[in-house]
Amino acid sequence: MRRWVDAAVRALLRLYPRAFRGRFGDEIRHQVACDLERAGEQGRIAWTREAAGQGWDLARGAAAERWSPTPAGRWMDDERRLEDEGMGMKTTMIEWGRELSQAARALARVPGFTAVAVGTLALAIGVNTALFALVDRVLLAPLPYGEPEELVYVAGSAPGTDFPGEFPLSPEFFHQYREAQGLGDVAIWNDFTNTARLGDRVERVVMGVASWTLFETLRVEPLLGSLPAEDHPDPDVVLSHAMWTNWFGRDPGVIGETIFAGGQDRTVVAVLGPELWFPYEGVQLWIPEPVRIGEDEQPRFGWGMVARVTPGTDLGGLTAELDRLADRIPERYGWSTTNARLMERYRPVVRPLKAELLGDASGPLWVLLGSVGLVLLIACANVANLFLVRVEHRRRDMAVRTALGAGRGRRLRALMAEAVVVAGAAGVGAVGLALLCLPVLVQGVPDFVPRLDEVRLTGTALAMTGALSVLAALLCGFGPALRGSRGELTALKDGVRGSTAGGSAWRNLLVAGQTALALVLLVGSGLLARSFVAVSDVDPGYDTRDLLTFQIAPDQEHLVDGPSFARFHLDFSERLAALPGVEATGIVENVPLNESLGVQRFLPGTSVADPASAPLLGFTFADGDYFGTMGVELLRGRVFTADEETSGRATAVVSESAARLLWPTAEAVGQTLRSAEGETRYTVVGVVEDVLQEDLRQEADPMIYLPLVGPTPESWAMASPGHVVRSPRAADLVPEVRALVSEVAPEAPMYRVYTMESLAEGSMQGLTSTLMVLGVTSALALILGMVGLFGVLSYAVARRTREIGVRMALGADAGRVRALVVGQGIRVVAAGVVVGLVAAWFSSRVLQGMLYGVEPGDPLTFGAVATSMLAVGALACWLPARRASRVQPAESLREG
Amino acid sequence: MTPSKPDDALSRLEYHVLLAMADEPLYGYALKEAVEEESDGALAPRAASLYRLLARLMDRGLIEEVEAPVDTPPHPGRPRQYYGLTSGGLGLLTAETRRLQAAAALARDRLGMAERPA
Repeated sequence: MRRWVDAAVRALLRLYPRAFRGRFGDEIRHQVACDLERAGEQGRIAWTREAAGQGWDLARGAAAERWSPTPAGRWMDDERRLEDEGMGMKTTMIEWGRELSQAARALARVPGFTAVAVGTLALAIGVNTALFALVDRVLLAPLPYGEPEELVYVAGSAPGTDFPGEFPLSPEFFHQYREAQGLGDVAIWNDFTNTARLGDRVERVVMGVASWTLFETLRVEPLLGSLPAEDHPDPDVVLSHAMWTNWFGRDPGVIGETIFAGGQDRTVVAVLGPELWFPYEGVQLWIPEPVRIGEDEQPRFGWGMVARVTPGTDLGGLTAELDRLADRIPERYGWSTTNARLMERYRPVVRPLKAELLGDASGPLWVLLGSVGLVLLIACANVANLFLVRVEHRRRDMAVRTALGAGRGRRLRALMAEAVVVAGAAGVGAVGLALLCLPVLVQGVPDFVPRLDEVRLTGTALAMTGALSVLAALLCGFGPALRGSRGELTALKDGVRGSTAGGSAWRNLLVAGQTALALVLLVGSGLLARSFVAVSDVDPGYDTRDLLTFQIAPDQEHLVDGPSFARFHLDFSERLAALPGVEATGIVENVPLNESLGVQRFLPGTSVADPASAPLLGFTFADGDYFGTMGVELLRGRVFTADEETSGRATAVVSESAARLLWPTAEAVGQTLRSAEGETRYTVVGVVEDVLQEDLRQEADPMIYLPLVGPTPESWAMASPGHVVRSPRAADLVPEVRALVSEVAPEAPMYRVYTMESLAEGSMQGLTSTLMVLGVTSALALILGMVGLFGVLSYAVARRTREIGVRMALGADAGRVRALVVGQGIRVVAAGVVVGLVAAWFSSRVLQGMLYGVEPGDPLTFGAVATSMLAVGALACWLPARRASRVQPAESLREG
Repeated sequence: MTPSKPDDALSRLEYHVLLAMADEPLYGYALKEAVEEESDGALAPRAASLYRLLARLMDRGLIEEVEAPVDTPPHPGRPRQYYGLTSGGLGLLTAETRRLQAAAALARDRLGMAERPA
């Protein structure tokens, strides 16, 4: 017998009581093996059928031996007959088929009940299916590289220094880490935006530059051509599938063609497949390069590192080895004492590549998947409640079955059949629903989430629908069926009406549970909503309205140095200002919310302190009426004059926090400052308001602004800075700007065209979309929960009509009756609210990373949600209460 | 309460299992094959069902584990467990057969089924 088959048989035998297994286990195994061998001689289909039959026989036998209520392992009578005829599975299927079609007919007679139950479950399963399809493709599918689980991302940290918490490495680490025992292939990469040109087409595209080892490390195969296999200085380029499609029309003869990219002409050596992306989807082409070490013995940090871990290496040991190897870097490459000191604090950071590439997306997606999971639980609780009521109605039916000799198993099956039919129909509906809402969902997810265009309702997602339907059938059917299948014969006695205290306790428990779950979701979306409001209220230091920003990259012969580029851009800026409706224009190297700042150590010009201990400050270059256009307030002094803009005077404007950092006690205007890397002293001419450069959710960075032209023409040249334009027509201005660009610089690509408002929205996109989906799910949860409460109370009132009639006959007024009913409902809701508050207290912690300006345990949110939950609960009680108060005593007593 | 069979009733499969052992003790697989053959293929119990049935019959004292018959050729591999009828089992089998005969005779009469010449 095949080994796994024997293992499966052993596993099934393990389900039998020990005494039985000990006595017959070996013989059964032997006999199963003989049967399978014989069946195998008739072909694979016969074998499979026999194996399935044996498996079923073993499993049901185990269930019978363990749980049969009759002594000595005897199954109930009817079951025994079936089994004795040796056709257990087939007959059981037939029996089930009969029960299911009976259940379907019974459900068709109560269309209201059926529609609500199927609809509720379909909605919940459908949402779960859609979100699962998304998570499955984005997070669970393996990365598109060979043996992706062996790949790690390596970065550095230097606790106790002013280096950011985690930073990318420098080329020296590449050379050093290639010697690590624990690592196989190692590669480093960087990505940037630069000009690509092919014939007349000129655009700025995102490119990657990488050590030639990158593709080898990732173990990927090209679609066309061959990937660089060794270190050579030829200017090569590897095209992404998108670049090949958009720029070369999928020309199969593209290999050997030349394209201008990253500052020079390059030969196309390979094209990647459509599924390949690294490290994100926007990278259009790759430039493989030898890894050079700067001759000035200054490390150039900023390189991402990906490496393949040697099989059998543990991450702890690897980190220790990388730490030891890094210790030798300063000596080997002659680094300065400043950098050597940094390396003393250096600690490698190693994590799976998948966590690095998908890290931003995973948190929100898991939160959302969890939230729709809760919605499914609530939906199941709702439908379970409906079934509880239905089971009450079928007590007589069950009692009749009992009297006719149906065992409990039979009765259980009869009751479960309805849940199975409902869940099955819901599963089918869910697939349709998922098909409908998947595109909407994908739209709502932020763009930085990779592989969105690959999201489909796959077989895996459909299997999940199936599994969820089975789960739903069990969750909402089994409890009620277990209760209902007791089949007390007392139900047959005339006039016995369901005074089932136990039943209402169960229903109340379910409603309280639903309330608690809905509250958890509501608190979550409440917290996110508060963060959203807080972020929207943030003053970024500039006015985001009516602003257009873009970049152009002119390439003309006379543009060679700082002053010539500055002259060009300032002239262009003046032409922009003359466009109709334009109020102001300015120039900045790094547009806020679009580009990060460069950082350097700056210190006061008079300082004699060690430059290595000077603070790291952001710096950028700004000119024209940048501050005025953006609405950045000038606090003291002045901004750059037209003279400084083109001639270079070594002046600087500093932000308020930079001024406070450098001159805590003195006035900044008039002081000088210098970079730790240079000798030039810049005179501070003005202090401006702080701005949020990177993200609306972060603190303002202290910043230094320098003019477009440095002290000498060669100091720096800003070839393609950002232009900012203030105009009420900001969004409509683009065609006119394009026309102007093609007039003054037809060769220059215009790119990164945004309104400041869209950049601000973009920076909140992750928050916004999570908030939206969570908002919808918690609204769903609230509605389902309240429908459940409404249903339970309506039923309770209907059952207590007689009692209420008596009370009213005895003089209770309508108000008292209403209060009675509402009070009953509110007690249940309040219990759910208390449990929900405790659960939310713990669960809201998973949102921590997405919150801004609000604590996970924010009392205001908790209080508001709890209060509104109680209010909505009271509302759901109101209708049944009103109905109760209109009971006519005489009528209700006659009915009874 | 679930109505249950009186202890001397035999299901079809139980009857055929006892019948198969009437000649000589049999081990599990031979028993299964005998039952299948003697019931014209209508009864083909799978392993777990068969042994659960044997356990039940043993509990009722109708069959017992016995030594292998002396003239059995040695079997390679693990030794086979043989099962044979107890006197109680033989008695019940005989009684059930009589009942079936009587029922069959009555049925022939009533349904007008003449006994065909062999």
